[in-house]
Amino acid sequence: MSSRILRAALCGLATGLISFGHVRAHEIVGSRFFPATLAIDDPGVNDELAFPTISTFKTGDDPSAKQTDISAEFSKRITEDFAVSFAPTWSHISQPGVNGASGFQNIETSAKYRIFKNPEHEFVASFGLNVEWGGSGAQDIGAERATAYTPTFYFGKGFGDLPDSMALVRPFAITGQIGYAFPSSRSAATINPDDGSTDIDVNPDVLVWGGSLQYSMPYLNSSVKDYDFPDFINHLIPIVEASLQTPVAHTIGSGTVTTGTINPGIIWIGNYYQVGVEAVIPINRQSGTGVGVIGQLHLFLDDIFPNSIGRPLLANSTVQGRPMFGK
Amino acid sequence: MTMHRLTIFLAALASLLLATTLAEAHAHLDHASPRVGSTVKAAPREVTLTFTQKLEPAFSRIEVRDASGARVDTGKATFSKTNPVEMQIAVKPLKAGTYRVFWHALSVDTHMTEGNFSFRVGDETAQ
Repeated sequence: MSSRILRAALCGLATGLISFGHVRAHEIVGSRFFPATLAIDDPGVNDELAFPTISTFKTGDDPSAKQTDISAEFSKRITEDFAVSFAPTWSHISQPGVNGASGFQNIETSAKYRIFKNPEHEFVASFGLNVEWGGSGAQDIGAERATAYTPTFYFGKGFGDLPDSMALVRPFAITGQIGYAFPSSRSAATINPDDGSTDIDVNPDVLVWGGSLQYSMPYLNSSVKDYDFPDFINHLIPIVEASLQTPVAHTIGSGTVTTGTINPGIIWIGNYYQVGVEAVIPINRQSGTGVGVIGQLHLFLDDIFPNSIGRPLLANSTVQGRPMFGK
Repeated sequence: MTMHRLTIFLAALASLLLATTLAEAHAHLDHASPRVGSTVKAAPREVTLTFTQKLEPAFSRIEVRDASGARVDTGKATFSKTNPVEMQIAVKPLKAGTYRVFWHALSVDTHMTEGNFSFRVGDETAQ
């Protein structure tokens, strides 16, 4: 196995990684708590620390490379509706017969603004700009030299406004995101270490999209019907996420096949933190092989430190908290 | 990251998690009487909500409304001095029907929470 194959795999992987933004937040809208999702971002704007997020999966290269990521994300509100975040990721990538490569991915930052919030209908929408800073990561693991900008729209909708005749559907909620990733540089030349030739990689524009379907047991217990379940059950949110990306322009090197994963899993919600774990199922061969896994510990800094680092820099005196974690 | 640095980091993270168990939390609805979504044969004379944390009485309230939206509570919540996580409100004599409870709570750490749920008065088989 030559280093060229691994390098080619890493370049392809880097394109796929555009969708794995690390800016994830939780959100409260009326009686609805939207948890921080693991694979995609959600509409939340909050003070929080996601660490660690650990994932392992096999990439869509041929042969597949095994990748393990350990990442963190710190998000800080400037105002009640505006937050910035910072997210480093360390990766280890290996293929059979090839020495593994390790290092940091490009640093990701984000600015997000909550543009609409309707508690009565449990609806929220946000707009953000995610930036993956080209050249800030390790070349050994295929970190792109071009900076990628991804303006993204986010939304969340709870079904709590359904009539009582559909009471058991009311704990459902959906979230979604759609973004357009484009690079600062359309192409990059790299020297092949095997034969000294020059390769030209064309960076495509990529539609980054996805969503989640979730069922909130806390919502069921506190707003629909108290079934006297064990306390542990009343803190769970079963969830399915879809994280997808479709090259849509300048696709000469990437093709136009949609890649991504479907992630079924479960999130346990506490007063101060949440813990989530999901399976990572590739949607096609180009997206990976086998089933991976992702897990995350997510701290709600707004609840842990409500009077210091957990409040917006420009803050009101009263902040909204989680409404429904009873029993 | 060396093992030494990793150990220090994990110790710091454990300390942070420990701190979360010691900090003041905001108030979540723990349970209610009548229970959330329940049907009771006998009309309750009051609605009692129990939260996970102490409440700020001046900024916490309950409303109980019937199916038409008319208030059926007596207008002002009361707070237990011996059990500061509890607030209750008396209600007028309730006929058979569905009632919705709206609550707003401010915990001692200034987090505001809100929610609502319904309960029914009458024969459960009559739903």
